[in-house]
Amino acid sequence: MSPSVTGIESFHLWNIATAMAVAAPCALVGTLLVARRLSLLGDAIAHAVLPGIVIAVLAGGRPGGWLTMIGAVAAAIVTASIATAVASNSVGVGEDAATGVGFTTMFALGVILVSVAASRVDLDTACVLYGELELSAFDTVPVAGLEIPRGFITGCLLFAGVGLALCLSWKEQVLAAFDPAAARALGLPVAGLSVALLVGTALTTVAGFDAVGGVLVVTMLVAPAAAAELLVSRLHHVAAVAVAIGMAAGAIGYLAAWRLDTGAAGMIAVVLGAVYAVAALVAPEHGILARALGAVALRWRVAREDFLAAAWRAAEGGTATVPRGWAAWPVARWLAAEGAVGWTPTGWRLTPTGRARAETIVRSHRLWEAWLGRNVDLPLDHLHPPAEWVEHHIGSAVRAILAAEVGDSVADPHGRSIPPESPPPAGRAR
Amino acid sequence: MDGAGGDAMAPVVEFHDVTVAYAGRPVLWHVDLVIRGPALYGIVGPNGAGKSTLLKAALGLVPLAGGRVTFDGGALADSRARVGYVPQRETVDWGFPVNVMDVVLMGTYGRLGWFRRPGRRERDVAGECLRRVGLADLAGRQIGRLSGGQQQRVFLARALAQEAVIYLLDEPMAGVDAGSQELIFGVLDSLRAAGRLVIVVHHDLRSAAGWFDGVALVDMRVVAAGPTAAVLTAENLRRTYAGQPAVLEELARAVAAGGRTP
Amino acid sequence: MIAALVPYNTLVVAAAVAAVGLAAGMVGALAVLRRRALAGDAAAHGSLAGVATAFLATGRRDLGWLLVGGLVTSLATLAALVAIRRWTRTRDDAAMALVLGVSFGAGVALVTGITARGLPDSAGLEQFLLGHTAGVTAGDAALLAVCALGAAGLVTLGLKELTLVAFDEAFAAAAGWPVGLVDLGLVGLIAVMVVVGLPAAGAVLVTALLVIPPVAARQWTDRVGTMVLLAGLFGTLSALVGVVGSALVPRLPTGPVVVLAAAALAAVSAVAAPGRGWWSRRAAARRALVAWREGDLLASLARGDRPPAGADGALRRALADGLVARGAGGFTLTAAGTARAADLARRREAWARILATAPDDARAFLTVDLPDPAAVIDGARLAEIRSAAERCR
Repeated sequence: MSPSVTGIESFHLWNIATAMAVAAPCALVGTLLVARRLSLLGDAIAHAVLPGIVIAVLAGGRPGGWLTMIGAVAAAIVTASIATAVASNSVGVGEDAATGVGFTTMFALGVILVSVAASRVDLDTACVLYGELELSAFDTVPVAGLEIPRGFITGCLLFAGVGLALCLSWKEQVLAAFDPAAARALGLPVAGLSVALLVGTALTTVAGFDAVGGVLVVTMLVAPAAAAELLVSRLHHVAAVAVAIGMAAGAIGYLAAWRLDTGAAGMIAVVLGAVYAVAALVAPEHGILARALGAVALRWRVAREDFLAAAWRAAEGGTATVPRGWAAWPVARWLAAEGAVGWTPTGWRLTPTGRARAETIVRSHRLWEAWLGRNVDLPLDHLHPPAEWVEHHIGSAVRAILAAEVGDSVADPHGRSIPPESPPPAGRAR
Repeated sequence: MDGAGGDAMAPVVEFHDVTVAYAGRPVLWHVDLVIRGPALYGIVGPNGAGKSTLLKAALGLVPLAGGRVTFDGGALADSRARVGYVPQRETVDWGFPVNVMDVVLMGTYGRLGWFRRPGRRERDVAGECLRRVGLADLAGRQIGRLSGGQQQRVFLARALAQEAVIYLLDEPMAGVDAGSQELIFGVLDSLRAAGRLVIVVHHDLRSAAGWFDGVALVDMRVVAAGPTAAVLTAENLRRTYAGQPAVLEELARAVAAGGRTP
Repeated sequence: MIAALVPYNTLVVAAAVAAVGLAAGMVGALAVLRRRALAGDAAAHGSLAGVATAFLATGRRDLGWLLVGGLVTSLATLAALVAIRRWTRTRDDAAMALVLGVSFGAGVALVTGITARGLPDSAGLEQFLLGHTAGVTAGDAALLAVCALGAAGLVTLGLKELTLVAFDEAFAAAAGWPVGLVDLGLVGLIAVMVVVGLPAAGAVLVTALLVIPPVAARQWTDRVGTMVLLAGLFGTLSALVGVVGSALVPRLPTGPVVVLAAAALAAVSAVAAPGRGWWSRRAAARRALVAWREGDLLASLARGDRPPAGADGALRRALADGLVARGAGGFTLTAAGTARAADLARRREAWARILATAPDDARAFLTVDLPDPAAVIDGARLAEIRSAAERCR
């Protein structure tokens, strides 16, 4: 092998290119599978194409060649039929169990064929399980004077084919996936679209099978789309992001496996899992971190507002006191830094800014109590708890509506006065 | 009420001796029903009476064991573009990655046909339909982040975007708040006023009495059908809901409350 | 006599694998009823990483430790599944595919890494992918058998609780049963059976040991107890076939043979089981359809209409049965046909009355072939319905 400028032998580069070329159509098909909640069908097909491939190879086909593709499509259709037949004909057997029966049976059949015919075919159980991405650079065909790996060409052709088919029928696929009943009522051939998806899955699976083996193909199908769905929220964006994720994971997984001296198939799956985990953590809006931070920020705001309101009520007289103790200390310090409270020898005191903010909160609280008292038949002692929560979520628009509804009453149901609406917080600069 | 819109022919849906069976058991049994537009027409009956199946049978979504359904005297295939369908809200995966505008645009797909993308005109139509259901400012939102009533309004907007003549709606008021229900009924009523035929599977007799001009009481077959006031009688309701005493009392009250409206 | 022909070790292993098949079938029956079939698959794929890690940690191929490692990562995989469901928007099917793919990928990366380094004994690890009982020693077999019989015993003990939770979770919870705990117990049993089944069927296929025998058993019975027993029996049979098959053919892994044996049992059950098998249900559906078409034909001829569209088959049969005759102006009813049509019209009328007064009874007993009401509805109940109909009139 000729060393290249990057310091990596060129066959590694070709292998990486193959991994990326195979990952792209897988991610594209996977986007639809995930959107249609058919991920497990993808898994089932990935297992089930094995006997089709083996029989095609026994009949003289080459792994990854067109004959094996035909065999794989046939096997996929047989499995889908078995699963459908089991599910619709067996009372009390769920679809999950039916799928489980279908694909394990086909995969078992394939493994037995491989074992029995091992001496006659260019397949063994290891390549069924792990694929042979590492060797893909050595199986080449000459194209315009260049030796190009077959796997790379297959992947590119599949990507082009699947991409073109999806571009042409995108809106039909989306409608059939989102609302099959409405699609059928419109006269769309929903069953035909499903079969097309099945065939597409089987074809891409064959390419993936060669690269990463029958069990891990499902990861290349499902993981990019699952991660992409967390990051963006329209299907064509999902497709684009999924392809990018799939290709990146193919390259990174291969490099990691090469550095760690292990199989590329497993590492690509692990990298895809890591990408998904990161997406789940950092996704904007729905990510675990974003939601956790949002919850913390809300709590912090509630704590500060509660402090201000308590201080205002203490000044108003009555039973409320300014919070003290170690728990209230950081809240008070923060408010002091905002200029809302100040320290006096008798304790924390509201500044004019702080008083305005506190009045807004107390106004929200008492307006809500007054509104509940007028419109909902609740005992007096049931009014405070909901208002205690709602006061943090009412804006000036809602306050205006509430004020209009409760009329000109200036007191809440407990007889305490409702403070007037403060001017918008431009005064905070004072 | 004649001649509103461009259509010379008033829309008609006709069920002729329709029987639908699941595993040998009839869900609909020798149903004969003619629904003429323009009208806002309710299909009412107890749970499991085959109301939704009636719509699905009309649309060819379930196989008929016998009988036939015609639209304007012809087969469904000849008038698909004239028929709009709103399935039950639960049949759809609301976590699906599409936004409100995408869903409403789906209503235009039937007219567009294969391979053509929705363009400027379709977007304008969809925007207008969204405005009619009061959701114009939510066009870019992911559909999972809407309330039940808003989701149902999106479905209604999609049906409007179909610019159909005959509308079939399956339980559009299920899980819908009072405000949305009022708005949806208002939109359906305006469709009727524009000469359309709107057929609604509905479960709440109270509002049925107030909004529909015609009603079919369905329980495996048609118990009674015709103008609302003539159909929603205590006797007919007793026949439809026989053997459900608690329901009966509820119905008696509903009829007393709303039965006088047109 | 058999002992003279077969090595002692093979006999012991066969007995142990039979016990594993029994317990897997029994646990699997409840897993399938509780719709946890795929949880077993995720656990199975996840176990490989644990087996490999345990091998790395202990440095030798000690089955006990390998299985403990497998159990730990199986449970971790299931925990990841629960976490994804709770904290992300990813739908269940994608979560399942993702978790089982990635966890298996981790296992494969570990196994290929270990194999590439040529550690002693490491070749044996690959046997956990597809199952190979030839490498199991008598001591290992005893361990497997004890675990399996323990699991089978637990299922027998908790059958009532597991059934209740599987059938109606909400009722069980309302009645005060700790649904979460029972579920956890079931998932734990599934994970244990997956791991114990690894030597016999391998990580890729062990789920079949849990799923296929119950699916086959379900065709024969409507009772949970019987189904559990039958599933256990089917599991035992397939496991034995697997051991024998892989012993006879060199280099044949055990797992696929076990799976194919079970699948054959399931196929036979699905086709031939009386009552709910494909064959007998198809026959019943055909009978109903034929009767329906005949009724339709006779009714339209009785009205003086032409035969309805698509009634050619019914017409041919009616001609052969002498119900219809070919006349000059088309088809007409014979005397027998007129009598049959009148009979059908009477029955249809009777059902219409029942439907009007007692719709629940109609829903329960009316089929499209229009049976005589007296033949399907209890006599006293029918009298009650008739008198109610009289009162209404």
